[in-house]
Formats: sequence, structure tokens, C-alpha cells
Amino acid sequence: MAEEKPLHRRRALRALLGYARPHRRKFLLGILCTFLAIAADLLQPVIVKTAIDDTIPLGESGIPILIGLGAAYALLAIVAFVFSYWQSNLLQRAGQAIVAQLRKDLFRHITNQSMSFFDRHPIGSLVTNESNDTETINQFFTQVLLSLVRDGFMLVMIIGFMFWLDAELALYAMILIPIIGAIALLFRRALRNAYHRSRAQLSRLIAFTAENLSGMSLIQAFHQEEEQYRRFTDTNRTYLKENLREVRATILFNRSFELLGNAAVAAAVWLGGYAVLHQKFEFGVLYAFITYIRQFFQPINQLTQQWNTLQSTMVSMERLWRIFSAEPEVRDPEPETAVALSPERVKGRIDFNQIRFSYLKGTEVLHDLDLHIRPGEFVGIVGVTGAGKSSLVSLLARFYDVDHGSVEIDGVDIRRIPQGTLHRIVGLVQQEPFLFSGTILDNVRLFREEIGRERVIEACRFVGADEMIARLPDGYETRLSERGSGLSAGERQLISFARIIVFQPKILILDEATANLDSHTERLVQQALDRAARGRTTLVIAHRLSTIRHADRIIVMRDGRIVEQGNHESLLAANGYYAELYRHSRSPHGLELTAVKGKED
Amino acid sequence: MGKSGLVPAQLKKYWFWYLLAALSIGAANVVHALYPSVLGDFADRVESGGLTAAAVRASGLRLLAIGAGYCVLFGIGQYINHRLGRYFEFSTRQKLFRHFTNLSEAWLSKNGIGKLLSYVMSDVTTVRESIANGFNQLTNAVVLLMSTVTIMLLSGIPLPVLAVSVLPLGAIPFLVTYFGPRIRGQSLKVQESLAAMTESAEEQFGGIRVTKTFAAEEIARARFGETVDRIREHQHRLVRLSGKFQASLPLAGAMALVVAMTWGGVLVSQGKLSLGHFVELTLYLRMIATPLQQIGNVINLVQRARASLERLNGLLSIRPDIADEEGARPLPEGAASIEIRGLTFTYPGARRPALTGIDLEIGAGKTVGIVGRTGSGKTTLAKLLLRIYDPPRGSIWIGGRDIRQTTLESLRTSIGYVPQDGFLFSTTIADNIAFHNRAEPRERIEHAARLADVYENIIGFPDGFETKLGERGLTLSGGQRQRTSLARGLIKEAPILILDDSVSAVDTVTESRILRNLRETRRGKTTLIIAHRISAVMHADLIVVMEGGRIVERGTHRELMELDGRYAAMARMQGEEAVVRG
Repeated sequence: MAEEKPLHRRRALRALLGYARPHRRKFLLGILCTFLAIAADLLQPVIVKTAIDDTIPLGESGIPILIGLGAAYALLAIVAFVFSYWQSNLLQRAGQAIVAQLRKDLFRHITNQSMSFFDRHPIGSLVTNESNDTETINQFFTQVLLSLVRDGFMLVMIIGFMFWLDAELALYAMILIPIIGAIALLFRRALRNAYHRSRAQLSRLIAFTAENLSGMSLIQAFHQEEEQYRRFTDTNRTYLKENLREVRATILFNRSFELLGNAAVAAAVWLGGYAVLHQKFEFGVLYAFITYIRQFFQPINQLTQQWNTLQSTMVSMERLWRIFSAEPEVRDPEPETAVALSPERVKGRIDFNQIRFSYLKGTEVLHDLDLHIRPGEFVGIVGVTGAGKSSLVSLLARFYDVDHGSVEIDGVDIRRIPQGTLHRIVGLVQQEPFLFSGTILDNVRLFREEIGRERVIEACRFVGADEMIARLPDGYETRLSERGSGLSAGERQLISFARIIVFQPKILILDEATANLDSHTERLVQQALDRAARGRTTLVIAHRLSTIRHADRIIVMRDGRIVEQGNHESLLAANGYYAELYRHSRSPHGLELTAVKGKED
Repeated sequence: MGKSGLVPAQLKKYWFWYLLAALSIGAANVVHALYPSVLGDFADRVESGGLTAAAVRASGLRLLAIGAGYCVLFGIGQYINHRLGRYFEFSTRQKLFRHFTNLSEAWLSKNGIGKLLSYVMSDVTTVRESIANGFNQLTNAVVLLMSTVTIMLLSGIPLPVLAVSVLPLGAIPFLVTYFGPRIRGQSLKVQESLAAMTESAEEQFGGIRVTKTFAAEEIARARFGETVDRIREHQHRLVRLSGKFQASLPLAGAMALVVAMTWGGVLVSQGKLSLGHFVELTLYLRMIATPLQQIGNVINLVQRARASLERLNGLLSIRPDIADEEGARPLPEGAASIEIRGLTFTYPGARRPALTGIDLEIGAGKTVGIVGRTGSGKTTLAKLLLRIYDPPRGSIWIGGRDIRQTTLESLRTSIGYVPQDGFLFSTTIADNIAFHNRAEPRERIEHAARLADVYENIIGFPDGFETKLGERGLTLSGGQRQRTSLARGLIKEAPILILDDSVSAVDTVTESRILRNLRETRRGKTTLIIAHRISAVMHADLIVVMEGGRIVERGTHRELMELDGRYAAMARMQGEEAVVRG
């Protein structure tokens, strides 16, 4: 594991630099501008020196030259201005372009993942990846890279000057390099630990805050403001403590460098002083040498300032890399094995062939299940919570793939149907509808502009949602805030039903979709669905048996297996598990419960 | 930053430490300024031939002392500063969280969690960085600037020459006032577009199932991509502005040097200025350039932070829309009767009222069922009773007192509430159930879990009641969540209990068991049951049928069935009539 990490990191770095490649012209130009700006800056003293040494001694006759020199100086200043402006612009542009691309790619990659990925990765942390980690990468390109180039360049120049002045003293000065390395190594561990710890505490703080914000009305209803505030204080204080530890480590690190630099100057005076004393070289050389040693530490200090950014870049990069290297478990078929199924021509036969399925290895939830559904059949699936009903239909939508066996539509294994096509064939309405921020209109047509307003309104009328929508301030143009929080669960569900009508899938799955509807709305929806179900294969999961009483066939599930099937009457006549469930649903007193107690969940 | 509330408070609280930090950074700079004199002394000795081995050692040691002194002093200043910055961050987050707990659900849901989080995270951090780094750099720059100006004035260079040379630097205040507000405005836009992207990502990941089911990934990508591009546009504009600003400050410095060199040079060649003064002048002007640039940096930093600071101060200055009124009194002990008189309520920003002319009297200890279609106003009623939204004055009375004139604390302690969605926190199950008082003994927690019929499930988990929930823990099914949330409401044993469609995700078998438990434990206590299913309310003392925000039928189950109106129709639809008759 420890050996694997650097490799991991190197690959991540290479991937990151891959993002910079399309912008290498901008980077090169930016670096060129940096050099030019530095050069223009460094040339300015030379002009002053020329004025002092050569022009002023000429007296009155030198005045025109002096004015010319002034003009040259002004010109250089303007050049420096222009190039330093361009440099920051170019680098920022490149950095921003990289981050934008990275964000889009990351988003694409995440949305390509199968559902098991989202089971493993909480949304909060994915959002952090999208916003914070990419932002850190931007800092890498705009700050760290710039500093590496600029300060590295300065460092090389200074070392060159030092050797040019006096090779022996310069060689002494080079002793500094291993010392600098040793200090960096010494602090590396402490800095990294401090960084990781504060980072971990930060994400705890974010998670706590996010959760409490979403549960705030509950906190208020239970009058727990004080208690939650106390808990927040604990988390916040721990974060403060970790931060202070990090501040101490960083300052100690930076100051040790500074101290080393100053000690080096003192040593230079000492050593060089003896050299001057023994008349090995002039004082002027020593003076210049001291200036350079002091300057030597400037870029080094600048570079160490970037240490933290570099650290966070590394962490962010590794995290992004981990996401990027996740392969979707549910994959589109290879082009050669793919079957082109036209969604319009699908008949709607469904076969579950001896399937086995588990979310986690070792805990199978569906055991060797066999189910064949005719085109256009209306199938109800019943069973207590945890019987495996939702898992069964998730497999049909290919949120997950089976461990064993196969799922087929019209005799084609769904693993050979491209997911885009499959999802046009299979429509799913879930218990908890999800609405996006946007207008009602856009929520029904899922932002597809090519679907006309008329079709949306027709669909809403069809499911009986138009009355409710008309009551909203702007009708169909009403913008939903924060996932439709202004609407009740039933109203949200009606909108998600309208979606189904608009998108016209050949196979329709309702997963407890009417649980949140009142009986009136449910009846409305029921009628609409009876009509919508015509010519479609329909699978309905319900724990209210009245919903599926008239189904062509009712599948009764228990502990991941099909235990009974048949229509309502034949199942009642069989007087088995279904009949037992049915009696319960009709008994408001719950007197006959003992028989099934402990079987749910 | 002068007028904004958070920063002055910080300065006021820690002025002593800030002074200390400024002093030690200042002292560090003064110590640093001794450098040239040691070297000068060394040079003089070389020139006069008085250099000895002892003098070389002494100079070396003196330089070492200066270097160490500088490092320590500067380090202290820097540490104090960063520490204070972190304190600022800490206390601002404390204030924000406290503030959030006082804001109403209406306000919070309007703003969205992503946006609120960006206040707590990025805005606070931006301000902290600008205070800490800005203070360090500013102190440094000011001390440097002041000492350079002092030396310049004492140098004996003729004042007119000095004045004219320094003149181009006079452009700096103008540059600052021109660019400052523009940079700030643009920073605000960048911050907002970042928040918009975060929000979009959160939403799209949350809705991934829908997106996948309808094969709408490309549209999701396009929508997200737009928010990404918007950040980029705003960033570009910001970079152009701040780049110009930052590059223009050294330009002003260079222009000063151009003037000094040309005019000063002419004066020297005319013999009106000594060469020594000329050299000094150019050196000083170069020295001045560094702090000027630093000041520019600080201003840039502060302007960026000001946008964030304004957002924070704006947020903190929002007055909670639901708060104790002046003279609010606690509810009388054990108040459990509810009286609603002519209640009409419209949600803020909505055109039509959600409730119209509601009159309802619920005697202490009664059980009332409220049924009605989706959107008929049942949940609104529950929220008004809890004052999650404020009802009009004089419309809701509990224990004979207008709830607008009672303290929120007493109102909310008297009411137990079980919401529709069964929201649970990422702590242990025991902690979630004992939410109203975390110190509840284990037996009571277990008892509540039994009543809500979730006990068997909980003890089936590896850590039982100590099982952690949430992102890093166990995920409960919808039904388990609702039942845990029910236990949380029941353990409170409040005089009034409101169940807002609390068992909708529970299968029928379990529901009937829960309802039976409920009837037993709530005997003699006021209970409001909001439901879709007739079975949940049929045993209530009074059943109210709501439609379009009005009460359309009321009575007992028997009366309503005889009335043969909407209630009876609902009962028939749910196929319960046979049971009732039989």
C-alpha cells in the first residue's frame, strides 16, 4: 500500500498535466511574459547606473541623453506593466479553462456511474469534489506553477551570479542546499499530518452544518437549538484546535528558513570577512555576495509559501483521481455486441432468468428468481418491506447488474442494450419524487426544449395535476425552489407522473409511487395509469393491496423469492400468504397480526 | 472594512493582541533596518584599513543577532495574527450557526443549503485570510513606508526635488478608489456563481436516479456546464481588473523614478544637486516601491474579502421572521386545548390563501383526525400550530392563550411533532429517539421504540440502539425511518401530539399495530392525526375533512359515514366500508 501510493500520485499528476496540455501555448506565453517582465524590471537599475557613471559627468551637454534615458526608463516600466498584466491574465485564463474542463469531465464521469457508486459516495462529498477540489487545482496552476517558474528562474540566476563572483565562497554557500532539504524533510511529516487532520475535521464540520440546516425545522419544533448549538461548538472548536496546530507548524517552518537565511548572511560576512582581511578579494565582491545570498532566500521563501497549496493540491488530486478511476459497474455494451433495439418497436416482454443479486457480497437479497412477463401485461408485486420488490425492479432499470442469471427485454439481455436506449424503454416512478429547481414545465419535460408546452399541459391534465398547478402563482411557469419544497409530497408525485406520460416508455414501473398520495389523487392517478398502461407492460409495487387488486397477475414476494402468483381471486382462493396480507389490510384493528409478526423488514 | 460589524467587533475584542502583533512586526522591521548600518560600519573599517579578525567576528555575530531577532519578532507577530484570524473564523461560524437556528424554515428553504453552506465555508475563510494576511502585510508595508519617508526627509535632499519626484505616487489613491469597488463587485459575482455551481451539483447528484431513468444525462451536463462557464466568465473579468490594478502600482513607482532621474540628473549636471543626494533619492524611491506594491496587494485582498464580509454581515443582520414577541409569556402548565378561530393563512409570496376561515375547537385530551386531499392544507395547519410559520394574531389559541403571545420555547415544548418525511440525524439511533432530551434513560428510549414498532428492527442491528445512522453509518428504509421518527415524537409525552402523515411508508400490517399502541398511550392527551388513510383516523373523537384550504365536513366516523359525503366516498374508495359495517 505504501509503495503503491507514490505511483498512484504520479499517475494522478500525469493525468492533471494532461489537462494542461491543450493550454501549453498559454502557459509558454505566460512564462515568456514573466521573463520579459522580470528582465524589464532588472534592466531599470542598469539605466540609473549608466546615468550616474556615464551621463551626469558630461555636465550640461549630457542633458538630452539624460532625457533619452528617462524616456527609455519609462518605456521599460510600461513594458514591465504590460507583460506582468499579460502574464497574470494568460495564466489565470489557462487555469480557469482547466478547472472548467475538469469540472465538466468530473460531472460527466460521476453521472456515468451506476447507482452502486452513489450508494458508496455521499452526495456531500461528491459536491466537495466538484467545487473545492477543483478550485485547489486552479490554485496549483495559477500560483504554484507561476512561483515554480519565476522563483526557480531567479534562483538559478542568483546561483550563477554567485559563482561568477567567487567560486569558493559560492561552493560554501551551496552547503545551504542540503540543509534546506533537511529542514524541508523534517517538517514534511508534521506539516502533512497537521494538514490532513484539519482537513478531516473540516469535512466533519461541513457535514454537521449541512445536516442541521436540512433538519432545522425539526430542531426548532423540538426546541433543540441550544443542544445542537452546543454540539456545533464542539466540532467547531476541534477544528480550531487543528487549525492552530497547522498554523504553528507552518510558521515554525517558514521562520526556520528565514533564520537559516540570516545565519547564512552572518556566515558569509564571517568567512568573506577573513577573505577580505587576507586580501583574497575586494570588499565590493563581498558586498555583492551578501546581497545575492539575501536574494537567494527570497525565491526559496516564496517557494516554501507554496508548500501548503501544493499539499492541498496533492490531496485534492488524489481524491479526484480516486473518483476518476472508478469504473461504472454497469457498463454499456461493446459496439460489436450491442443490440440496436428501437424503443418504439419494443413489444415489452420481460424475462428474469434465474437471477441472483446482492448489494454487498455475501448478503444476497434475491435468490434464484424466475419471472416471465408477457407484452402488455399488468403485474402487481406485493410483499412486506424488505422482501426484495424494489431490488427486482432496479435490476430492470439496470441501476445494478445481476450477479447471476439474466434480465431480458423482448429476448435481448439488457446488458446488450445501450443504457440510453434502455432508459427510453423502461420508465420508473419512485416513492420519493425528485424535482429540479426550475419551472414546473421544465420539470415535467426534464428541460427538453423540443417537447412542446402543449404536450406538457396535456400530460398534466391526463394525470390530474393541472388543477393543482393552476393554483400556483405562475401556473406552469412557477419556479420551484429547492427541489419543490413548497409542494407537498403528493403534488410532487403528480408532477413525476406527468413526466411518464410525456416520455411514453414501453415498460412502466411504479415503485410504491402512490404511497404518498391521498385516496382521491390516487384514484385520479389510477385512472390515468389504467389508460397509460394500455399497450404497455406495467409493473406496480404497492403495499396497499387495493392498488393492484385488478392486476392481470399478482406476484407475491417474501425474503427475496416469489412465493405465490396468480390473480386476486385465485390467490385468495389459495388462502396462502397473500390472503393473509389481504386480511390485514382490511382490518383496522390489527387483531390478526400475530401470524406475520417479525416477517417484515 | 470600517463600517462592517464583524471586523470591528473582532478588533475591539482583541485590540491588545493586534497591537502586540503590530508592535512585534514593527519592531522586527526596525531591527531589520539595522542591517545596512552594520554592513556600512564594516565597509568603513575596510576603507580605513582598521579591519581586524575580532571586528569580522563581531560583525558576523551582530548580523546573526539581528537575523535571529527579526525572525523571532516577526514570527511572534505572524503567529498572533494567524491565531486571531482563526479565532475570527471560529466565532463567526458560531454566530452563523446560532443565527441559522433562529431563522424560519421558510427563509432557510428559500435560500437552499448549498448557498447557506457557502456562507459558512468560503465567505468566512476569505475574510479570515484577508484579515490575517492583510494585517501582516499592511503592518510591514506601513512601517517600511514610514521609515523610508522619514529617512528621505532627514536626508537633506532639497524638498522641491523630493516633492516633484514623489508626485506620480499621488496617482495611487486614485487608482485605489477607481479599482477598489469594481474589484469588489466582480468578486461578489464570482462568489455567487461559485455558490450557484455548488447548488447545481448538489441538485443534479441528488436527482441522479431521475436523470438516469429518463436518459437525461446530457441535459443535466449541459445545465451544470452552464454554471461552470459562468464562473469562468466572472473570473476572467475579475482577473483583468485586479491584474491591471496590481501592475499599475509599480508603474506609478517607476514613473516617480523617471522624474527623479531626469530632473534630478539635470540638476546634478547643472551643479544644483550633489551626486550623493541623487543616488540616495533613486535608492529611496526604489525602496518605496515595495511597500506600495504590498499596500496594493492588501487592498486587492481586502476588496475581495469585502464582498464576502458584506454577504456575511447581510446574512447576520436578517431579523428572524418568527421570534418571541414583546411581553410573550409561556403557555400555562399542561395547556392542551386548541382553539382555532377564523384562521386564514397565505404563504409568503403566494397569491392564494392555503387556509381559509378555519374554525376548530379541540378540547384537552381529545383525538382529532384530519383528512383531505393532497394540498388541502393539512400540513400547513400543523406548521402553524408549531409556529414554523406565524399564523395571524388571535387565530390560534392553546390553553386559552394566543400562540403569537406565547414564548416559542414553551409552545414547542408542549407540542410533540412527527413530520411526514422522517428526517433523522447522523448520530446514534438512541440519540435520534431521545432528540428532545438527550439524557433520557435507556428504558424510556426502548419503550418509545416499542410503541413505534421499531424496537425489533433496532435490536437486530449490530450495535442496537448505539448504531450510527447517516452517511458514514447505517441507512434505514423509509418505513424504519418513519417509525424511528415516530418514537422520537412519542418519547416526549407532550400534552399535544401532531402526527403529520407519519406512517405513510409503513405497510398496513405494521400501521394497525402502531395505531393501536397510539390509542393506548395517548389516552387523555390531545392528539392530532393527519392522514390519507381513513383507517388512521376512524377512531378519533372528531374527524375533520379538508378541501382547498377549508373544512368541508366534520363529525365522528359514524356521523360522516351517514352524511354520505366526501368522507364516505373516500372510505369507499379505500375499500374499508365492509369492515366498518361488519
